[in-house]
Amino acid sequence: MSDKRSMRLLVGDNPFHGISHLSQERSRARGNALDNAEYAAELVMTALENGADGFMFSVSETTLSILQEVCKKEIKNLSLHAIVPYAYEYVRLATQAGGITGLAKKIGKQVIATMNVKAIVTGLKGVVRTDPVSLMKAYMLYEISRIRSVTRGKANLDSVMLHEVITEVALALNLDWLFRSYIDFMWKLKIQPGFETRNFAYLVRKFKEWDIDFRKIAIVTAFNRVGFQMNPSKIECEKALGTIPESKVTAMSILAAGYLKPPEAIDYIRTLPNLKGVVIGVSKERHARETFGLLKEKLGS
Amino acid sequence: MLRRHIEDADCRRVKFPAIITDFDFKESLLRGALSEMSKSGRGILKVAVIGLGKMGLLHSSLLSVLPNVELVALCDKSGMTRRVFRSFFRRVQVNDNLEDLYDLNLDAVYITTPIPSHFPIVKAIYSTRIARNVFVEKTLSSNYDGAQKLYALAQASGGTNMVGYMKRFAVTFKKAKELLSESILGDVVAFSAYAYSSDLSETSRGSRASMSRGGVLGDLGSHVLDLALWFFGDLQVESAKLESVSDLGAEDFARFRVRGPNDLKGKFDITWCRKEYRMPEFGFLIQGTDGIMSVNDDNVELELHDRKPHKWYRHDLDDNVGFLLGAPEYFREDECFIKSILDGINMEPNFYSASEVDRIIEQVKNEAYERS
Repeated sequence: MSDKRSMRLLVGDNPFHGISHLSQERSRARGNALDNAEYAAELVMTALENGADGFMFSVSETTLSILQEVCKKEIKNLSLHAIVPYAYEYVRLATQAGGITGLAKKIGKQVIATMNVKAIVTGLKGVVRTDPVSLMKAYMLYEISRIRSVTRGKANLDSVMLHEVITEVALALNLDWLFRSYIDFMWKLKIQPGFETRNFAYLVRKFKEWDIDFRKIAIVTAFNRVGFQMNPSKIECEKALGTIPESKVTAMSILAAGYLKPPEAIDYIRTLPNLKGVVIGVSKERHARETFGLLKEKLGS
Repeated sequence: MLRRHIEDADCRRVKFPAIITDFDFKESLLRGALSEMSKSGRGILKVAVIGLGKMGLLHSSLLSVLPNVELVALCDKSGMTRRVFRSFFRRVQVNDNLEDLYDLNLDAVYITTPIPSHFPIVKAIYSTRIARNVFVEKTLSSNYDGAQKLYALAQASGGTNMVGYMKRFAVTFKKAKELLSESILGDVVAFSAYAYSSDLSETSRGSRASMSRGGVLGDLGSHVLDLALWFFGDLQVESAKLESVSDLGAEDFARFRVRGPNDLKGKFDITWCRKEYRMPEFGFLIQGTDGIMSVNDDNVELELHDRKPHKWYRHDLDDNVGFLLGAPEYFREDECFIKSILDGINMEPNFYSASEVDRIIEQVKNEAYERS
């Protein structure tokens, strides 16, 4: 059973993007209130006041606006866990910009617009040599600068996770060199590197094969009582978790996208060994209070 | 609740049409079967992917994790794209010309290029015998004539063929198909279908976005048409209306009515200009003599006259896969295609069923243009 004192409780941002993995109808029914950065920031604050230790978010204009609002308030040492890139936005941009090439040009222009010299120089090197590692570094510098430009020292960027689409493609293509370069680069920036995945068992197997040190990385992946988005199966994911006590795994989708009630979801989470945290999104003030109150009581410090 | 959504439903008792039932194996069994074949040494399939956009990357990645598959070549006309892919696919040939694929002794080719290029590329693959097993992203061709010709070429090749109508591999639509096959609704008398997204909800007059994607019928609409043909069998268009926001010729809204076997009536509402559809959504409301069923990407809901309503979410329908990328449907689709090649069979959605989608799209356009 997990040591309840070691569990980190994070508030997530899915509802702010209109995401519900249970049904799109449900996310539409939530209405437009969550588009409002001030309202969303209040929800984050309520979660923090009721037991959340930090905020996990995909880096987008929406979440940066929310973060800006949060940082206007009286906060101390807010722990931030960013996920990049915000894949949905980039797919949308690619659709509008004429595919992957159009998207690459658009991102290039955005990097230049930040006037972040290190990012620009690294990016140019990547383009000239078609060097994926340099391009990755330039892109990470760009995203980190976007976050820091809104937090202005009022929050700690503790970890930056690669979005699941990037993680899964890199896993599928056996890009161990890319994973290693990313981990080394982020450590040099004194930020914990992490990976979001819905192929947890596959990732653990590959990382072991490649001798990647689990102590150096964070992982966020689905764990819930019904095995929702736990691929290839709930049993395989539980087994894999059991083999990496040194890891920093945060469970997402613990409510299976609203399919489960918090008490039954938490009862299952408490049975898992080696889990170090949970992330959960909230869409109403009452949910934020009740859910994080319960999480703190059952799992938090 | 569901009843009020079905308008103009004709409640005459009609018999449900015959259904093609060749997609009925369990995914878990398939997974096991694939690994068994690998162990028994029935061979590794050498595969190439032509067209390295979003779908090309997705299929290349999934093919890289499937047993029994060796991704040996990639092909794209863009020099920049080829350079980028070479750095990620270091053991794979990355070419710009179909001729470079001749000597590779390929078992299968995936074609994920823009739709207008499907016809010449597939034709070249078959006529030069680059491979006899071909997967094409939807739609099969730009028109029905082209689709029929490609189907004839595929028949002559004797190989396996598939078109990327991945919604058939979604657990909710699969469940709906099972229920319909069991005639759970009695005789099906009417249905309404929709396909919505917000992709071009902010499009304006003069925008080329819709044109560059070939219009909403072939893009979003083809998925829901394929599902309708799978569910109900042959359909004929009765009336149709197309609208364009951009005014550059490509449709942004499509509304049409169809008639199926045994006087089945159906209607479609398709657009990519609806707000609040962050992800594309496809759905049906189906009315039978014994009740109503609704199905979309997220759930299946059944209301029978004499029983309590029942709702299945994806969670209830074993939605996990061997490797998740994008959506579970893509993994199941590629797995099914590879298994079909190994078994020497043709599974739907194949060139024949896909040519039927192209036929309906053409009928809708003809009907709409005649009226206008």
